[in-house]
Amino acid sequence: MQSLRRILLVEDDPELSAEIAEFLATESYQIDQALTGDEGLRLGRANPYAVMLIDRMLPGLDGLSVIQQLRNEGNEAPALIISALGEVDERVRGLRAGGDDYLTKPFALSELSARVEALARRSSTILKETILRAGDLELDLVSRAATRAGKAIKLLPREFKLLEYLVRNQGKVVPRSMLLQNVWDLHFDPTTNIIDVYVGRLRRKVDGEDAYPLIHTVRGIGFCLRAPG
Amino acid sequence: MLLVKTLRSSTFRLALLCIAIFGLILFAFLIYILDASTNFGIAQSDAVLNGDLQILRETYEELGQEGLTGKISRNANDPRAYQGLFLLADSNYRPVAGSLGQWPLSLPQEPQGSGEFNLVLDSAKTRGFRAQWTALAGGAHLLAAIEITDLRQFQRRLAYAFSFAALFIVVVSAASGVIVTRRTVGRIEGINAASRAIMESDLQRRIPVLGASDEWGQLAANLNSMLDRIEFLMGEVKQVGDSIAHDLRTPLTRMRARLERASLRPRYAVDDQALLASTIVDLDDVLRMFRALTRISQIEASTQLRTLDLSLVAREVAELFDAAAEERGSRLEIDGNEAIEILGDRDLLFDAISNLVDNAIKHGRVRGLVRISADADENGAVLAISDDGPGVPADECDLIFRRFYRSEKSRCTPGNGLGLSIVAAVARVHGATVKLSSNQPGLTVELQFPPPTPAQKSARI
Repeated sequence: MQSLRRILLVEDDPELSAEIAEFLATESYQIDQALTGDEGLRLGRANPYAVMLIDRMLPGLDGLSVIQQLRNEGNEAPALIISALGEVDERVRGLRAGGDDYLTKPFALSELSARVEALARRSSTILKETILRAGDLELDLVSRAATRAGKAIKLLPREFKLLEYLVRNQGKVVPRSMLLQNVWDLHFDPTTNIIDVYVGRLRRKVDGEDAYPLIHTVRGIGFCLRAPG
Repeated sequence: MLLVKTLRSSTFRLALLCIAIFGLILFAFLIYILDASTNFGIAQSDAVLNGDLQILRETYEELGQEGLTGKISRNANDPRAYQGLFLLADSNYRPVAGSLGQWPLSLPQEPQGSGEFNLVLDSAKTRGFRAQWTALAGGAHLLAAIEITDLRQFQRRLAYAFSFAALFIVVVSAASGVIVTRRTVGRIEGINAASRAIMESDLQRRIPVLGASDEWGQLAANLNSMLDRIEFLMGEVKQVGDSIAHDLRTPLTRMRARLERASLRPRYAVDDQALLASTIVDLDDVLRMFRALTRISQIEASTQLRTLDLSLVAREVAELFDAAAEERGSRLEIDGNEAIEILGDRDLLFDAISNLVDNAIKHGRVRGLVRISADADENGAVLAISDDGPGVPADECDLIFRRFYRSEKSRCTPGNGLGLSIVAAVARVHGATVKLSSNQPGLTVELQFPPPTPAQKSARI
């Protein structure tokens, strides 16, 4: 089955909307733009979408109502709420209204794209493997053991979880905030570079000195696990 | 002006109402006393008259009219006998004998009864009498009277005294009502005037504190400390504004200069790539600082706390920072494996503890020791983070919790000066206090959480 690459973008600021659309278009998505909630609702009813990006505050019908209405009508396309409101309560309200993820302005386009990617994948594939592979790295999800070229790597439970997340998302740039959210279940941006340091140690364990590097830092955004070839 | 305000004030109206109610009660009470004492005098007179009439009637029945008139005249002449008035009248109430010249006009001509009458005697002075009379066998009437001028006078004096006392009390209480109200209104006016001046932008002004220990003094002192707090916060906001301006201006200026220079020179893909990458990094710094700032206000607005294990959060932070400590050759130790339940928010606590541990690692000694310990007793949970670095000078202990404060020495290390403000904000949300102490050498930061409420305790059992 060919995966759906069509995205609905409901954002009232034309310039930001154009930037997002252009950026996502380079990732070979097809974008439908709506500037108001009512238009977004109309498009959401008319077309099947891989992901819907919906601004929280819109002229007319607001973002949450759009999602709620679509959900009530049985539309299950994953929705990413974009909001200038960052409070925890707002996030909870957004997710309760039927949103699947929540991104606070200002954000990096690369982070938006990574989250869209994650949501799009969620709707098309379900992973049932018990062994994950990336190049010569192997993760046994049952025994929670990691090996690189057959050599065992000693990992702390959290490090294993982090590596598992990176391997599941191999080839994709994973923003720091997504790591925090999915590996540590934390919903804030640390003001320190602690994630970099933590990933740095994991990299030393996984990549060592002689092996070719798997984990790469993407400056200003996050990390990427890439197997060569 | 003040008098008008005084008379209009609700306090004065309330005082008037109280005065009216108490005045009425007092008035009723005095009337009762007056009435009771008069009745007591009258009853005594009546008893005497009753006795006399009894004796005289017996005399009349035994000795006849002559015997009676004899006894009456003997009584009249005997200075030791009771100096009452007697009258023996015939069946038509015409006087027959006795010290009274005629049947008093104000008394009804009835076979028996009692009453009062006035008599003008020799000294031309009106005197009051109380009389009792009865019918004798054979149709005659016998009347005995006793002087009650003194009783009446006593009654009058008492009435005067009572009226005067009542009037005095009402006047005095009204006057004191006015005075007290005036004082109250004056104090309130003072507070109002000061508040108006403060609203008109004189935030330095304070409410005058008169009589520091009474409730007005306390009110003024409380309002003043509220104003102090507002002034402090405004100062902090201004300081934060200045710091933001400073800390944001630098990267923004750098970015602008870079872009301006780039726009003037010929395009080379490699240079442009480097320019864009470094501009994005600078911009991310700006955004991160901006997020940290808004985060502080979010923390201060958030209230949803649930039961969680403080020592688990501390262990998670320790695990996360283990790598960072390793990088500096330091050791990160954690004490306390027992679950410590507190009411909290995991994200916020994680953030706060991260900041403290991060500081301890960064500002502690290279190859030093950072200890995290979580403990709990009946006074509540305590989380302590200590390092063995240079510590914080005593005069900077208060300052380091201000937003953007960075000690001169630490200006060169990375960070934005918001970490401890976040810690302070998180502590406030949890009702916890932050204590700094010397670890000799080094710094110990303690978060003292409030003791669990009885409801939590019972929920645990």
